[in-house]
Amino acid sequence: MESWVRFNAQSQAKERLFRATQYACTLLGYTLLKGGANSDLLTKIKQLEAHVSLVRKLMRLGNSAEALEAAKRAVHLSDCVLRLCITVAHLNRAMYFACDNVLWAGKTGLLPKLDQNKWSQRSFRYYLFALILNLTRDAYEVKLLMDRESRSVGAKGAWASPSTPLPENGELLQSAGSHASSSSISAISAGALYARLHRELHLVAAVLRNNPPLLLDLVKNLCDLFIPLDRLGLYQTGPGFVGACGLTSSILSLLTLVHPWLKLKP
Amino acid sequence: MESFIKFTNQSQGRDRIFRTTQYACAFIKYLLRNKAARQELVKKLQSLESNMSSGRKLFRLGNTVNAVDAAKRTLRLSDPVLRFCLTVANINRALYFVCDNVLWARNVGLIRDIDKERWSFNASRCYYFSLVMSLTRDVYVITQIMVLRARQRRHQQKVDQNQNDHRDVASVLVPKLDAFLFLLYESLKSNPPVVLDTVKNLCDLFIPLDRLGIYQTNAGVVGFCGLVSSLLGILSVVRPTLKITP
Repeated sequence: MESWVRFNAQSQAKERLFRATQYACTLLGYTLLKGGANSDLLTKIKQLEAHVSLVRKLMRLGNSAEALEAAKRAVHLSDCVLRLCITVAHLNRAMYFACDNVLWAGKTGLLPKLDQNKWSQRSFRYYLFALILNLTRDAYEVKLLMDRESRSVGAKGAWASPSTPLPENGELLQSAGSHASSSSISAISAGALYARLHRELHLVAAVLRNNPPLLLDLVKNLCDLFIPLDRLGLYQTGPGFVGACGLTSSILSLLTLVHPWLKLKP
Repeated sequence: MESFIKFTNQSQGRDRIFRTTQYACAFIKYLLRNKAARQELVKKLQSLESNMSSGRKLFRLGNTVNAVDAAKRTLRLSDPVLRFCLTVANINRALYFVCDNVLWARNVGLIRDIDKERWSFNASRCYYFSLVMSLTRDVYVITQIMVLRARQRRHQQKVDQNQNDHRDVASVLVPKLDAFLFLLYESLKSNPPVVLDTVKNLCDLFIPLDRLGIYQTNAGVVGFCGLVSSLLGILSVVRPTLKITP
């Protein structure tokens, strides 16, 4: 009960729970529609989804200020790529929240003549930019870790066996020199490329396995990406897929709130 | 901005802001009820108020557990009067939240065949009992402070000085009543959290009194009292020293 009380006290945690509920309703509605459930149940689920969505908008009313504060903090980071990605991502989030607040005012009737479609598209555009920047940051972190990993593996290899075998490419080129035919050279270079790709993927997998926060953040951002892509019409998947992606990313972000060590820093 | 963010990060902080907005809307709506030119604004205020209310109901979905946890904690207090008052108040709050959750489900359309009026009445009744218990605790704490204060010699010196300074008032007013009022005033001055909590509970009391029909006022009084108690609630969240303990 203690942990629930602490969880309940954070408004961000509650908001994530409601987000999970909202996307669960989307997914459930789509599944039931496909399964041929009665219209009464579908109406209830749709009403619940709309209600939770509107209340989440109400809860987000102060978040622009929070995103601006986060951007101010991110400006002081030492790494310039991280500084750029994170600051601009937060600024885009601040703009997204501002558009979202205007949409809330429109939906509740405070601004009755608002073009809700236009503002909705605007808000999703800012959300998409923020997600792309987050994914760029994730890719940069993965690349940094891969470089570090490959350097340490190379150093370990040099330490373990002083007489290192010749690098793969060198061996292949030596053997290629003896069989001077173009088809065998292209086959060998394709084989070398495939081997290199396999090695790189193996390295990426190792890096992500050793860094759960980074893996979590990457999967979360990838799942989230499908939502604005669908709503803006760039890559339409459908309510079922969007609901599943939204639910997955909400559960992952709830995990980072319950286990703070899983949160990617900065 | 830092303090605003810290405030809104707490679930309770945001709820207090929304409650303030809700009752401010109710109060302003009452003030503008007869002005024909402002009916557009009144409609907007009505829409805002109902949005805040339904949003807050969704927020409160987990609060029954919080109230039960608080009741378990107050059960371990040493003072028997405080233990009784606070535990019963927390239990009533838990029941209020249960009724409130059922009402939320009804409003959203998840449950259709429940008697909304009856559940609303039950919710108001539980809220009323919890407020009465909280006020009983406030009166008990004030009495304890007054008794403690009266025994202090320093207070007796102040009483004498007060009588000397305001000889004419003291002689007109019954001396014992004057001494009592002075003791009350001194006790309250030295304990702002108790004053805040008492005023907040008194203001809140008008809301269920009106809904239950025990002491019917009007929407304006209810709105004003709700607004004052919400502002005091915000004050107690912003300044934790002003929050009454336990």
